[in-house]
Amino acid sequence: MTTQSPVQHSRQSDLDHASFVGSWRVWVTVVLAIAVAALPFIPAVDSYMLSVVVRAAIFIALGQAWNVTAGIGGQLSLGHGVFFGIGAYTTAILFNRYGIPPWIGFLGGIALALVAAFVMGAATFRLRGVYFALATIAVSLGFEEYARYEIDFTGGDAGMAVRFLGDSLWALQSRDPAPFVWFTLAVVVGFYALTRMILNGRRGFELQAVRDDEEAAAAAGIDVVRVKLWGFLLSAGMTAFVGSVYVQFYLSIDPMTAFGLPQGIQIQLPALIGGLGTAGGPIAGGAIMILVSELTNWAGTAIGQEGIDVLAYGVMLLIIVMRAPAGVVGQWERLFRRPGAAP
Amino acid sequence: MSLSIIQAILSGILIGGVYGLFSTGFSLAFGVMRIVNFAHGELVMLGMYVGLFIFVGTGLDPLYTAPIGGIVAAALGSVLYLVFYRRFVGRATLQQLLIGIAIALILQISAQIAFGPQTRGLQSGWSAQYLLIGPIFLSYAQIFAFALAVAIVLLVELLLSKTVWGQSIRAIADHREAAELVGINSELRNLGAFALACGLAGISGGILVAYYPVSPTVGFSLVPIALIAMVIGGLGSVGGTFIGGIMVGVIQQLTGAVWSTALQNIPLYIILLLFLAFRPHGLFGRQSAH
Repeated sequence: MTTQSPVQHSRQSDLDHASFVGSWRVWVTVVLAIAVAALPFIPAVDSYMLSVVVRAAIFIALGQAWNVTAGIGGQLSLGHGVFFGIGAYTTAILFNRYGIPPWIGFLGGIALALVAAFVMGAATFRLRGVYFALATIAVSLGFEEYARYEIDFTGGDAGMAVRFLGDSLWALQSRDPAPFVWFTLAVVVGFYALTRMILNGRRGFELQAVRDDEEAAAAAGIDVVRVKLWGFLLSAGMTAFVGSVYVQFYLSIDPMTAFGLPQGIQIQLPALIGGLGTAGGPIAGGAIMILVSELTNWAGTAIGQEGIDVLAYGVMLLIIVMRAPAGVVGQWERLFRRPGAAP
Repeated sequence: MSLSIIQAILSGILIGGVYGLFSTGFSLAFGVMRIVNFAHGELVMLGMYVGLFIFVGTGLDPLYTAPIGGIVAAALGSVLYLVFYRRFVGRATLQQLLIGIAIALILQISAQIAFGPQTRGLQSGWSAQYLLIGPIFLSYAQIFAFALAVAIVLLVELLLSKTVWGQSIRAIADHREAAELVGINSELRNLGAFALACGLAGISGGILVAYYPVSPTVGFSLVPIALIAMVIGGLGSVGGTFIGGIMVGVIQQLTGAVWSTALQNIPLYIILLLFLAFRPHGLFGRQSAH
């Protein structure tokens, strides 16, 4: 029984018009990035709106990280909260206890996440599809329980707060969200470029080949486990880095936010909604989700009801999986692709 | 053996009986239709709320009214099957897992909106009492719940072995391809099996609420238990999964007694990983998971 990935179209066929589409996309990216970077200078944009932009960027970056292993590589991990939490906790603990700035803490978080990903990958890569996904859930739930237990280190159930020094470049802290707008924007643009590089490179083709048909990929001489592990490690490192950025901005972390099942589910949504395995998908999906989240939070406050955003996420997930498995970007491409071009 | 160990094993067996009961439903849906119903825990939650509200309204102990929760959950499960799961029968795909996650989220928030976010328990007369055997104490509610769980699982086993419908379900669970070759594959059979699976979740919820408080998010903590019980016991094996559930209860209680109750699930997650990696067909299953 082979498990199929939600997106089943070959990227190879996109090569014909890749140069044209590529340059078009680059321009859109540049214009969008400049527009977002200019937001703090517009007087009408207050700090709440800027913090929403940061939230969106963090969300998108997590989606981009997950997309590398799940979207391009077909390894649907539900346990990416493990790497997110490791990144967040490592930076916070190193800073609070030892005064090590997050610039170095980032590296610590990434290193630990790579170790965790290596062990997880070694234990679970024999498993296909659903079994792999279920195994990753077990790992994240284990981490959640352990983080609750280790009160001295993690602050237990209540979580921990990062010592706040005020505006400080050394500690990557700021009272004003504007620096975080630029920082997280740079992360998103960097991850976007990285995703495009992977998609256009040899590794990308290998990852997609393994995703689409593991046996065929192995028969064609691809070292399946090596390729899977490469994608998983890269994705884990990226996720840990975003976790570190998250804790710098929000200045607190707790076991549920870090490792909980809701986090593992949330990390998947931008890519799933936007378009699995595409470079633009997580960006479109993350932006849509933040819009929906802000709207539903506003509506929820109006009617005095919490959790409407999660309800909306659930409904969106249902609609996407049942009706548009290629996501928003996939639907878009299907609608606007020139007739006669690749499917 | 020290007393606390004996206490832990006995409590674990009692608690594990109900784990085994709802895990059996989870395992049935997987074994017969290859459906990983991620919303299974939410159906247990529904049964728990049904039991709670009947108790609040009439004062009837949830242990007596558990079948009502089972019927409600079976009805909801039938709708879920017809609308969402039907097209994924026979293929444990990632899309199907995502559908289950989406349904679980929606049911969870719906429960939160309808019943409020707070955790609620109930205190009924006799079920809060303890049976003392020397220094060992066991909750009456848990003893009764265990007996009920065993009785229901035996009934399900009878249903599966003595009726034609049950035999066709077992045939599918035992050997998919062969059963399909001889023509066992009807829509009605699948619907019935899924409704039964969800009904087992609901009835377990009715039993569980007698001694375990309910909240809208309780389902997320139960799905991993069902998963582990199923994987230990053997994918799709009813009796095996029930024993798997009891083992989960015992492992939890033993970990709590010798290590820490805050870490009672960690050995389970490790065991789950080891089974998935090295023995994916479980202790009693015959099929490969691959």
